Amino acid sequence: MFRYRSLRPWTYGALAVAALAAAPIADAKETKGPVTDDIGVIVIPKGAPIQIGGYWVLSGADTALGTDQKRAVEIAIKDIGGKLVGHPIKFNAEDSLCNAEGGQTAATKLAANPNTVIVIGPSCSSEATPGAPILWKAGITSIGTSPTAPALTAPDRKPEYNGFVRTAYSDIDQGANDAKYVYEVLKAKKIVTVHDGSPYAQQLATVMAANFKKLGGTVLSAEAVAPTDVDMHPLLTRVATEKPDVLYFPIFVAAAGQIIRQAADIPGLKGVRLLGSSALMAPDLIEAARDAVVGFRFTYPDVSPEAQGKGYPKFVEEYKKMFGEGPIAGYHANAYDGAQLAFKAIEKVAKTDKSGNTYIGKKALRDAVFATKFDGISGPIACDKYGECAQFKPAVYEYTNADPKTFKIGVNPKKIWP
Amino acid sequence: MTDVVASRIGLPKLSSLARFTFVDVILWALRLAVVIVVVGGTIGTLLKGRYAAAQWFDLVMFGLTIGSVYALIALGYTMVYGVLRLINFAHGDITMTGAFAGYFLASSFDRSGLLDRSPILAMAGILALAIVTSTTIAVLTERIAYRPFRHVRGFAPLICAIGVSFFLEQTFRGLFGPSIRSYPDPKWQRAAIDVLGFSVPRVDIIVIALAVVAMLVLYVIIQRTKMGTAMRAVSEDTDAAAMMGVDVNKVVVFTFALGGAMAGIAGVFYAFVFKQVYFFMGFTPGIKAFGAAVLGGIGSVPGAMIGGFFLGLVESVGPALFLDGIGIPAPYQLRDLIAFTLLIMVLIFRPHGILGERMAKKRA
Amino acid sequence: MMAGAAARRVAGSRRAPPSPLQRAAVTGLVFGILGLYLAIVGILAMIHGRAIIVGVLTLGQATLVAIGLGTGAMIVRGDGEHGAWSWSTLLRSLFAGAIAGGVLALLVVAMDALDLRAIFIALSPALFEMLTFDLGLAGGVLVLIGGSAALAALGALLTLGPRAFRRHVLIGCIAVIFFGVFQELIQIMMQYGDIIGAVRETIYTWEGLTPEGAILIFVIATAISLLAARLRGGERSDAETPPAQRRNARIAKAAVAVLLLVLFPLLAGSYIGQVMMLVGLYILMGMGLNLEVGLAGLLDLGFVAFFAVGAYTTALLTADSPHALAAFTAIPSLSYWEAMPIAVLVSVIVGVLFGIPVLGVRGDYLAVATMGLGEIVRVIVQSDAAAPLLAGAQGILQIPKPWLGNIELSDPVDLFYLTLACAAVAAYCAWRLENSRLGRAWMAVRDDEDVAQALGINLVKVKLLAYGLGAAFAGLAGSIFAVMLTSIYPSSFQLLVSINVLALIIVGGMAACPA
Repeated sequence: MFRYRSLRPWTYGALAVAALAAAPIADAKETKGPVTDDIGVIVIPKGAPIQIGGYWVLSGADTALGTDQKRAVEIAIKDIGGKLVGHPIKFNAEDSLCNAEGGQTAATKLAANPNTVIVIGPSCSSEATPGAPILWKAGITSIGTSPTAPALTAPDRKPEYNGFVRTAYSDIDQGANDAKYVYEVLKAKKIVTVHDGSPYAQQLATVMAANFKKLGGTVLSAEAVAPTDVDMHPLLTRVATEKPDVLYFPIFVAAAGQIIRQAADIPGLKGVRLLGSSALMAPDLIEAARDAVVGFRFTYPDVSPEAQGKGYPKFVEEYKKMFGEGPIAGYHANAYDGAQLAFKAIEKVAKTDKSGNTYIGKKALRDAVFATKFDGISGPIACDKYGECAQFKPAVYEYTNADPKTFKIGVNPKKIWP
Repeated sequence: MTDVVASRIGLPKLSSLARFTFVDVILWALRLAVVIVVVGGTIGTLLKGRYAAAQWFDLVMFGLTIGSVYALIALGYTMVYGVLRLINFAHGDITMTGAFAGYFLASSFDRSGLLDRSPILAMAGILALAIVTSTTIAVLTERIAYRPFRHVRGFAPLICAIGVSFFLEQTFRGLFGPSIRSYPDPKWQRAAIDVLGFSVPRVDIIVIALAVVAMLVLYVIIQRTKMGTAMRAVSEDTDAAAMMGVDVNKVVVFTFALGGAMAGIAGVFYAFVFKQVYFFMGFTPGIKAFGAAVLGGIGSVPGAMIGGFFLGLVESVGPALFLDGIGIPAPYQLRDLIAFTLLIMVLIFRPHGILGERMAKKRA
Repeated sequence: MMAGAAARRVAGSRRAPPSPLQRAAVTGLVFGILGLYLAIVGILAMIHGRAIIVGVLTLGQATLVAIGLGTGAMIVRGDGEHGAWSWSTLLRSLFAGAIAGGVLALLVVAMDALDLRAIFIALSPALFEMLTFDLGLAGGVLVLIGGSAALAALGALLTLGPRAFRRHVLIGCIAVIFFGVFQELIQIMMQYGDIIGAVRETIYTWEGLTPEGAILIFVIATAISLLAARLRGGERSDAETPPAQRRNARIAKAAVAVLLLVLFPLLAGSYIGQVMMLVGLYILMGMGLNLEVGLAGLLDLGFVAFFAVGAYTTALLTADSPHALAAFTAIPSLSYWEAMPIAVLVSVIVGVLFGIPVLGVRGDYLAVATMGLGEIVRVIVQSDAAAPLLAGAQGILQIPKPWLGNIELSDPVDLFYLTLACAAVAAYCAWRLENSRLGRAWMAVRDDEDVAQALGINLVKVKLLAYGLGAAFAGLAGSIFAVMLTSIYPSSFQLLVSINVLALIIVGGMAACPA
């Protein structure tokens, strides 16, 4: 190709110059004030704010998912009085569009700010995959609040993901549990799965189906829709011809609401149990599905008061007060806990000298995040060495009332298993 | 035979045929592939006998229902295109505004019980509000955003329309939040009706019937009223119409108002069937309806109606009929693939849409 | 802006010329509604959170001030060319300002009396506090109406004042707002170096500008503006400068601009590098689309398909993942430099294949047909049916960064230079094409297909070349995109990308390569 040949000398010239000039400022061992750290120390002068980054999808079709989590972090900041280790918190939230380039751009921006102490987010695995390594390269720990792709915290993850943890759980845990529930508790032998083309739903549906087969069940077919589809009737008609025992669709609120509603219109689906997953713990689902939601079941971590999550009702109250509406998607509790985790870890490692300057070691902060354990509103939080922090305690919930105002975890939806 | 095809798809005739047979080969291969998929898939599906007659009937009804919504939206595209030669990209979002306005009235009617007590009155009220809102916004967008571009050639008006689309979406997101709201679901809508021995949800019948009525009324307006005649005159030839004393501005406003009204109706119907309203809801149906308008022959009012119904049907029946038989996994994920392939096939082999002949001759 | 235009139209195009007072009322109403819109959409409360001058002014308040001033300015503008100072102007401005403020005051009263937030979620207590300036209902209403009237009067006076004076003041204000709004970015850029750091500390706190900093920036910006005006005035006076010299000056200016563009990311760091690199990719695609749309007149809304092809080809050839071709075929895993030309070549082939079916389709129909083709590519890439080959929703991960000798081009700034180099080569090609026989043939096709054909231009060849070469640019951009992200997902290839690129070249001016 002519273009290629003529490009070569050009690129070499330009790039050699660029590479020499832009040699990275290596974050080697550094001592500032009372703190020595392997990869660098952040100094927050007296009176300056402590800067916390965040990146979520805040525009486009998935707006609700990210906005919900960003709001949860804002509530967490408010709940600790807007101050941390004596400094006011400055919260820099970026929009990362729920795609790879958005995640990369947002992460680059946060990483370019040398005062970013820690980052909370993102919402999508496609954002975290390029984003987390960029942040960690700058020595910044990031706490994913809803990316659930197993690879992000897999034992064989690459070292560039060492600075990443998440307060959401891996699809592997969720999928295995969901398969077990369907096979052993619902005694279903034949299922159909539906995903929406998002990495999350596709992964979860696949993992669940694989586990279900391993247990001895039959997966009749793996169907898919687009997240913007509204007319599910044809798909459901097709599903009805296969006569499954359970229809499993770990997808998001809008499309799930349509499936729940429209399943009632299909005569062949009478007696087929519908089962959703974690993204459906939200008042928004009640609004989306209304009357049809009563009796609808989905899997979610156990957050009943007995198991955990005492703070949740108070959180919902606070949410309504601040934003004029109830929580609008499924992962606000994980985001709130992500923020709590960040704050607790910072409190642990931050050292303030006599004149009021605060020093935070980056490596120390990362280690503190991994070591911090507490009871969050989504359940107990404690990270394993690959950054999986939410202890997955499975449960199944069922909606009992079609009025979104009655949304209250434990009552509507009420826990029915275990 | 090849000559006919070559001339029909506008290729250089005979002279270059010898040199460019590869184009024909590819086009024939394309055609053949589609035919094989369609015929093979259909035979395969029917042989499998997976779907019973009742299910085929259901699929058709579902297709007609969403098709009637597409048709109503497509009318707005096609009328505006006919008069202004402008692709009003924001038209889908105007549908959304109507649905939103209707939502607030519908939910208050639901709370007060009016929706159950006198459904006809309630529906009329909801439709009226939606029509007023959509019409107002449609006319305002014309006035503020499109009129300055009226005489600009090229693609700038299209980009302006895309900008209006984003503006409307973001405004509604700011006003009402990014979350989903849903229309009430009164019992009388859910009740099933017997049609030819098959049971169909009543709401589907109502929507299809009312959409057809709305389209007939529109057709009469365009064919029989003075304003409608002026509209047709402008879309035939703007300059000549202006010389004959037609107030072009008035006609354009009237066109946008009519399109807006249809969009308002479409928004409410859409929301009554699919319930969910949110700020982004107009985008996808908008694009589909635009496709439907082109399918039927853009600029042609009956064409938009037929295109809408046809697209709805293909989307609903197509994946089951064509793809199931050849063993493609998750056929309904490829619903848009079928819709767009259909669109392209129509454009290749009938470049001006199903009913677009009249327009085409004029423009060529 | 839109409302401003509307105001002018409303104020100017009534059938019977309205009385000045009526016009003032309408102007006030339009500006009030603009404020009302910003408030209920939630923008006002949102930008209220951004401080410009810490403790003095937020962006939200600045917007309110601008509405007030704008009302007055519009009143004077409405008087036409012969608008001159009179008591009537002042009174009308006060009146219009009071109306504009009154609209917002009505909102405040309504918010106090009714539970509007059940419908309009943006009408939060924070907005109420902002609009009442923490003075309670009555005080807030008074300040809104009075303040707005006073500002409108001030706006009118400013507009009537000498032009030069107004311009310099305006430039000063804009500079302050610029430095305030973009404080985060500017502060990040000013991190390094002792002197710059010290400057940063005088003009900024962590939240925004300090009052002293704002005054400093205002003074400097105004001074520069004055100085520039003086210089330009001097230049204009010696009109006998030879044109050649002037052209040289222009070339010098352009060279300086290009040099700044090239060096800027180096100084500004990786975030700016990242943003400029994305811009660079869009420019690369824009140049390709320009060949199709601008030169050959083929409106293409499915351009993103070629971008996807370039990205996926690169990923399949180089990635260290089970989906890479190397993992299950005999094709070896290639380095980026080997994969890039292949990606471009594949894009060209796809471009030609893409062009063949739509050869006979024209105008707006073509837009729809190409949009359909673009969507088909995306649906296929995302589908489960094609997942065994293209990984479906999970995307292809672990695409290695390009290596240059022993240096890994991993920083956005490095990749920016790669993009820049590619863009330079591409621009050269595009420029040569534009002035070639082919370019002229394209333009002939654009202007009239039938005439072009009559002139002996081979439509098929010319059109397919447009698609193919346009696709080459997009494929190149896609290939860089893949290594930039090191992971690609089908969701990156939405219709919106095509639309953005189209918007880019339309804003930049059709058929003009530099745009």
